[in-house]
Amino acid sequence: MNFSEIEEINNLGRNIFNIRFKASEEAMPGQFLMIWVPGIKEVPMSISSMDEVFEITFKVYGEATKKLSEMNAGDRIFYRGPYGKPYPEPSGKTAYVAGGTGFASLKPLMNKYGGDVYIGARTKDELFITDSNFNISTDDGSFGFHGNVVDLFLSIGKVYDTIYVCGPEIMMKNFYDKVGRKYGKNVYFSLERLMKCGIGICDSCSINGFRVCRDGPVFSYDEISKMDEFGVKRRTESGKIELMLKR
Amino acid sequence: MVSISTRIGKKVIERPVMLASGILDETSGSILRSLESGAGISVTKSIGIQERKGYSTPIISVIETGMLNAVGLANPGIDAFLEEFIEVQKKDRIAVSIFGKDAEEFSYLAKRVEEAGFGIVELNLSCPHVQGFGSEVGQDPELVEDIIVEIKRKTNLQIWAKLTPNVTDLIEIARAAEKADAYVLINTLKATGVDIYSRNFILSNKIGGYSGPGIKPVALRAVYDVFRETGKDIIGVGGITKWSDAIEFFLLGAKAVQVGTGIYYEDYAIFRKINEGISGYLEQEKFSSLEEIIGLMVRK
Repeated sequence: MNFSEIEEINNLGRNIFNIRFKASEEAMPGQFLMIWVPGIKEVPMSISSMDEVFEITFKVYGEATKKLSEMNAGDRIFYRGPYGKPYPEPSGKTAYVAGGTGFASLKPLMNKYGGDVYIGARTKDELFITDSNFNISTDDGSFGFHGNVVDLFLSIGKVYDTIYVCGPEIMMKNFYDKVGRKYGKNVYFSLERLMKCGIGICDSCSINGFRVCRDGPVFSYDEISKMDEFGVKRRTESGKIELMLKR
Repeated sequence: MVSISTRIGKKVIERPVMLASGILDETSGSILRSLESGAGISVTKSIGIQERKGYSTPIISVIETGMLNAVGLANPGIDAFLEEFIEVQKKDRIAVSIFGKDAEEFSYLAKRVEEAGFGIVELNLSCPHVQGFGSEVGQDPELVEDIIVEIKRKTNLQIWAKLTPNVTDLIEIARAAEKADAYVLINTLKATGVDIYSRNFILSNKIGGYSGPGIKPVALRAVYDVFRETGKDIIGVGGITKWSDAIEFFLLGAKAVQVGTGIYYEDYAIFRKINEGISGYLEQEKFSSLEEIIGLMVRK
C-alpha cells in the first residue's frame, strides 16, 4: 500500500470532487488506482491526470467517496496501483464520448492527443468540466443538447477514425448498439464493474471470462462483442448474476 | 510425448494442474477460461446454502512472499449458482467446492450438486476466516467424519476433503476424513497484516488467509506427512507458481496439484507453462509417465 499527501482538493460540481496528490508511480491514460479509505473501504478510481501529480475525479456515491470528499490538503491518501491496460494510441480523427464522471478516465488521453469531446450529464450541476469546444448534452436539457450523449453524437454526425467511450454501462451499450458496428475495431470502451481485488484474481468484475481489472478496463469493440452480459447483466457483491436495470 | 495424465480415485484426469477454489472461479465464464487455458479440473468458489456478500474491501493484499485474503465466502448461494451453470458444458471437469456448518448442510449441498450433473465435490473444511464455517468445522474430527459419511450415504459423488493446516495434529483430521476419495492439502494459513502508516489492519476483516510462495514448504510438509501416514490420493496446493514446484509435490506423494495465487504472478498462462514443464522434466529425467514419480521420495 502506498500513500501520499493531498496537495489540493476541489469541488467541481454537485457531489463531484477532484483530488491532486504527488505520486512516484508511472501511469498511462486508462489505468486506475485502488483508493483505500482505512476503516471504510477500498474503491477503484480512474486516474484523471498523471503528469507529475496524480488526480482522481469522482462523484460521491457511498461512505468511502463521502469520506474522501471531506479530506483536506495535507491529509494522507492511501492507494495501490496503477492497474489495468491503458487505452491504445489513437490514429486519425479522434472522438471522446463520456457519460458523467466517465470523462475522468478519458481526460488524460484527450489532453495528450486532442480530438472532439462529447459529454453527457444528467443535469447542468453535474457537468464538472466545460469548454466551449465540447459538445454537451444533459438529460433534463438544463445545458446544451437535450437528451443523451449517444443521440448528441448521432445528431452531429461527424465521422472519426478512432473513438473512445467511457460512462455508465447502459450508455456504452447504447453507443455500442447505435454507433459501434459502423466503426468496428476502432472503438474502445472503458468499463467499470463492482471490483474487489483489482489484480485479476477474485473474479468479482468478470464479464464472460474477461476481467475488467486485468484484461481491461479498456476493451476493443471485438472484445465487447464476445460479452453477451455487457449492458445486460451484472454481478452483485455475492457474485450473483442479475439483470441490469435501465435508469 | 510423455503422459502427464493422472488419476484421483477412479477418475482419469488428463492434465494434473487444477484451478484451486477461491481464485477466478466465481463466474462460469472464468471457469471455462481456466479449462481452456489448460487446467485439468477447475474447482469453483465455495458455495453455501445462502447467498453471502463476503467482507468489505480490502479483501486481498499482496505481500512480499505471497498474498493475504479474507474474501469471506462470498457466493451467490446454491440456487443461483446452479442456475448459472445449467447450460455450462464440461461439468465432468468442474469440481464444486461447498461449505456448511454441519453434516446436514453439507450433504444437502452435495445432493444438489450431484442432481445438477456434477461428479466431484470439494469440501471446504478449511477456510480460516469465517466464524462457524471452514476451519472451525474442519478442526473437529468427529464432525468431519460425520459430514463425509453423510455425503457418501446420500450421493455417489467423488469427495475431496480440503483440510486446514491450522491444527496441531493434521494426521488426526486426515484420519477423520479417511472415507473421502482424496485430500486436498492445504488451505491458506491463518494470518494478518499491518499497514504502519495508517495504523490499520490491511484486510477489512483483520484476520485472513496467507497463500503464495511463502507457504509452499508448509504445504509440502503436509503432503509428505499425510501421504506417509495414509497412502491416500492427495491433491497438493500451496505456493505453486512454476513447474518445478509441482514436481516437488509429486515426489512427496501428490497425484495432482492446484494453483490459485500463482495466477496473480503468471496469469492464465500458468496452466500451460506448468503442464509443459512437467512433461519436459519427465522426458529429460527419463521417466515414461507422471505416475512413476508420484510419491517416489516416500515410497523408496
